[in-house]
Amino acid sequence: MQKVKLRGYEKSIIKFWSQYMESKIGLFGLALLIFFVFVSAFANILAPYPVGPKDGDSKAILKPPTSKYVLGTDELGRDMLSLILYGGRVSLMIGMLSTLMTALIGTIVGVSAGYFGGNTEELLMRFTDIFLVIPGLPLMIVLASILGATFWNMIFVIGVLGWTGTARVLRAQVLSLKEKPFIESARAIGASDARIIGRHILPNVLPLIVAQMVLNIGSSILSASSLSFLGLGDPTHLSWGMTLHYAFGVGALFSNFYWYLIPPGFCITLVVLAFTFIGYSLDQIVNPRIRRR
Amino acid sequence: MGIGRVAIKRGINAIVLIGMVTVINFFLFRIMPGDPTTMMISPRMTHETRRIILHKFGLDQPLYVQFVRYIQQLLSGNLGISFIYQRPVLDLIVERIPNTVLLLLSSFIITVILSIITGLVAAWKRGSKLDISLIVFGLTMHALPIFWLGGLLLLYFSVQLDLFPVIGVSTPWLKHESVFSYVADVLHHLFLPMMTLGIGNIGGLFLITRNSLLDVFAEDYVTTARAVGVPSRTILFRNVLRNAMLPLVTIIMLRLGFIIGGAVTTETVFTWPGVGLLIYRSVMQEDYPVLQGAFLIITISAVLANFMAEIIYGYLDPRVRYE
Repeated sequence: MQKVKLRGYEKSIIKFWSQYMESKIGLFGLALLIFFVFVSAFANILAPYPVGPKDGDSKAILKPPTSKYVLGTDELGRDMLSLILYGGRVSLMIGMLSTLMTALIGTIVGVSAGYFGGNTEELLMRFTDIFLVIPGLPLMIVLASILGATFWNMIFVIGVLGWTGTARVLRAQVLSLKEKPFIESARAIGASDARIIGRHILPNVLPLIVAQMVLNIGSSILSASSLSFLGLGDPTHLSWGMTLHYAFGVGALFSNFYWYLIPPGFCITLVVLAFTFIGYSLDQIVNPRIRRR
Repeated sequence: MGIGRVAIKRGINAIVLIGMVTVINFFLFRIMPGDPTTMMISPRMTHETRRIILHKFGLDQPLYVQFVRYIQQLLSGNLGISFIYQRPVLDLIVERIPNTVLLLLSSFIITVILSIITGLVAAWKRGSKLDISLIVFGLTMHALPIFWLGGLLLLYFSVQLDLFPVIGVSTPWLKHESVFSYVADVLHHLFLPMMTLGIGNIGGLFLITRNSLLDVFAEDYVTTARAVGVPSRTILFRNVLRNAMLPLVTIIMLRLGFIIGGAVTTETVFTWPGVGLLIYRSVMQEDYPVLQGAFLIITISAVLANFMAEIIYGYLDPRVRYE
């Protein structure tokens, strides 16, 4: 029988996966995420009714759950289940796109601060401190209301303000990596900074970046839902947060329209929980500070 | 370095931060594409009045003149006039601060007590079923949108069960016979928003408490104490808790800035007349002077809380003083 030879990275993926399999929380989160991604991707097939502004059933306005509309209807007579299915797309998209931006800024700031040290580090960390100390949501509110409530503005606002955590974690990690012998020997044989960062530093901090990204998607979805709830969401993109905004707007609280209020918030919680569970489990494996304990 | 020197150094740092925040606050509201003055003038005006007002407030001047003016006005306590209320922004904010502080402090106490207790139990029973359930609980609280939690509590306890009032900080037009009945009325109104914010913020602080306790449990002196047979309870209170309090105090103070974010949505859900509700209304009504002023006040409070955290930390930890 031929022996299969494994390359280095394949071995580490297998090792990683076997560690991850041990975490029940992580596996549950992954299952939950796969479910929501699947449901959102096939929303147009799964949704029983269309959800355009004119697609409502004028004879079923704000109706509690019935056999025809299993989760009830909104103030335009649209099916709540269909709204929820389509809403997942928007919420997940906002979370992932703003996290791409967050990861990019956080990596650039964190890695350069940690690697170059000195004045660069001082300047970048001071800059990070400003963003750390300013309360996040109020700053997002101000930016979003100045720029205007559109889908892309929301992604920009969340992405441009959410990178401080990533930057700090990466800086700490790069600081300790920099002292490792393999980096010193690379420098001794005359490798350039770009080569050391690209070939040695980045591959080593990649797992940490991924763990941060997963956690960030969750918190971005939460921020987006808060902004939408406050009326800073794009009215043409019906995210779960936007649906909640309309629920509060039509007085769902005082009129006891529980079917309008419960599903969107429940879905936000579950999706954020999925990312939090996965991120928490990843962090347990890849974050050296936690692993040591 | 003595504690006084540390305080001065941190103080200068805080002042620099406040300065930067003020500058950011000035330019933020002028980054709109097109006419940079649109944000400062109500869109409901005719062209002529608009021009007169622009001139009156110096908004037709070059940017640097406007900036100097802005700083001068700030130093004399003028944050501008609200478009909607037609009153000074500072007055609008100041009269709402007590309500916000009441909500923030009371909910904060709930968060701190609950997360220290749960964090302690989880760290002590590390790896047990109880620990895992507490972690799942903490992560769930972290994932819960606070305003939605508030909405559910309001829907169930106030609307369906009619146990608590649905809006406001006290019953309007009610003549109170004594101070006690007034306090009772306020507490009755406070309970749900306080619990919303208090429970909604547990997640992060619980995990931080658990982790910093675990860090201390792993220290050599704890292992030594265990090895020589010091009772668990004594180790817990004498060695672990005392040493874990240090990082905890700082993190707890630093979270104040974070909690303010939750207060904006919570105040909106419960129509709690604080600075958060004012921010929400100013966003809805495009009342930019109020938004700008409230943001500045909130940010300065966060910087000051941060400064206090550093001083307390320096006071508690001699290593900071003598480094």
